[in-house]
Amino acid sequence: MGKVPAYQGDDGFCLTESNAIAYYLSNDALRGSGAQASAEVLQWVSFADSDIVPPSSTWVFPTLGIMQFNKQAAEQAKEEVKRVLAYLNQHLNTRTFLVGERVSLADITVACSLLWLYKQVLEPAFRQPYPNLNRWFTTCINQPQFKAILGEVKLCDKMAQFDAKKFAEMQPKKDTPPKKEKGGKEGGKPQEKKEKKEDKKKEEKKPAAPAVEEMDECEAALAAEPKAKDPFAHLPKSTFVMDEFKRKYSNEDTLAVAIPHFWEHFDREGYSIWYSEYRFPEELTMAFMSCNLITGMFQRLDKLRKNAFASVILFGTNNDSTISGIWVFRGQELAFPLSEDWQIDYESYTWRKLDVDSEECKTMVKEYFAWEGDFKHVGKPFNQGKVFK
Amino acid sequence: MALRELSSLEKFLGLKKPNKYSTQGDRKVPVLQSNSAPSLVGLGTIATHLAQEAKRPDLLGASAEERAVIQQWLEYRVARLDGCAKEDIKTILKDLNAYLEDKVYLAGNHISLADPLMYYGLHHIITDLAVQEKEKYLNVTRWFDHMQHYPGVRHHLPPVVVLRNRVYTSGHH
Repeated sequence: MGKVPAYQGDDGFCLTESNAIAYYLSNDALRGSGAQASAEVLQWVSFADSDIVPPSSTWVFPTLGIMQFNKQAAEQAKEEVKRVLAYLNQHLNTRTFLVGERVSLADITVACSLLWLYKQVLEPAFRQPYPNLNRWFTTCINQPQFKAILGEVKLCDKMAQFDAKKFAEMQPKKDTPPKKEKGGKEGGKPQEKKEKKEDKKKEEKKPAAPAVEEMDECEAALAAEPKAKDPFAHLPKSTFVMDEFKRKYSNEDTLAVAIPHFWEHFDREGYSIWYSEYRFPEELTMAFMSCNLITGMFQRLDKLRKNAFASVILFGTNNDSTISGIWVFRGQELAFPLSEDWQIDYESYTWRKLDVDSEECKTMVKEYFAWEGDFKHVGKPFNQGKVFK
Repeated sequence: MALRELSSLEKFLGLKKPNKYSTQGDRKVPVLQSNSAPSLVGLGTIATHLAQEAKRPDLLGASAEERAVIQQWLEYRVARLDGCAKEDIKTILKDLNAYLEDKVYLAGNHISLADPLMYYGLHHIITDLAVQEKEKYLNVTRWFDHMQHYPGVRHHLPPVVVLRNRVYTSGHH
């Protein structure tokens, strides 16, 4: 199945799945001595996989730029992480290590699954309520065997936020992986460690391979899909990061922050700005129906979201209205012909490419993005606006 | 008492041939007798010497700072802990409990000479603690339990029962 990590022993014995490899390479002490202790070790290994890794990935990966940021998911993950930390902290209240009185596979697996949290986001104030967990974690990462693999681990000073720039950089090319090295090296797979310890079992795989792969999976999933049929693939890379602008537009003041940001970062080679007007205003009746017309078009253009932004406005009142908007597309041509899915609505509109330097363009961007102004060319009052983002 | 402790320490350090000890004065300060060199006086001095003899520099600290902290605890053991008055015990436990909140070992991230020596010195105190008190000094108890389970440390001393699940949850924390 092409699974990574994979292990091959001297005798030809093969294994996949990191936990199985780690278990095989462990000695009895690490596995937990006795039926109870080894079951407890297994319990913690499962706990790491099922309860720590998912929320940790959701929270940390965007800060490393290897996954798109989703505020709701991140907040949810944060709460989840808090619960996990509190639980571990409670357990370690009376204990030095997770199972028994010495380091076991449980400590290795759980510490490694917490590693990126501690490195990226658990700033001092955030981790302060968990003194027992901190004590245990610091002790673990400072054991010589851990250090041999992880090196000096620097705990987070300040909570990392979503790195849109890095994310954008990493998205388009899959063939240049320099960004991953950093993450890859200490990606925290316990089996590497075991290998060092158990020199009698010869290591077959390259040191950094398993961890790099962990990053890859997620990235591959994200990168593969849009790339397979990305209609904009032929365009050179642009410096204008659409997502960043959209975030500014959504979260901050339009006139004071978003629009200045737009003009500061806009890439006139990679993007173009268009004015569109609905061709059949006389057919527009009730305002809510006209709005549905706009939002319906947005929905059908869903796949274009990544590469476009638009603010479309309904002017006037029932039975006396017009629709017009400002669109920003990737590339210099109208984007719609690039995909069949996108061609349903656009012919109902007239399209005019704006000269980026013109006063007209500046005014229109300002008025349409902010939903306020004179809208001199329209001649009807603002009714409501819809944003495609 | 100090002599049995030194013989346990020798075993912990893996020293094969036992040394000869005697005591000095009212406080029964241990003395290490040697035929070839001047005798060594005092628990801390002897323990440090034994660790060196056993070629266990890791127990004496990896950095200058760690070495100083270890010596500080050896001194604390002799000066504050040994023969302390009954009313001082509470203060000692309270201080130690606070100190150990964010530490697994007394110095650095590994066991050092300070840990077994403090363990030996505290043993009779911890043995006398009631369950509630053990819970009150939770960090001390946890460290103590770790020490008595640490391979080769306990030897001559009886194990002290430590509950993992707290009985009296209304205490501090």
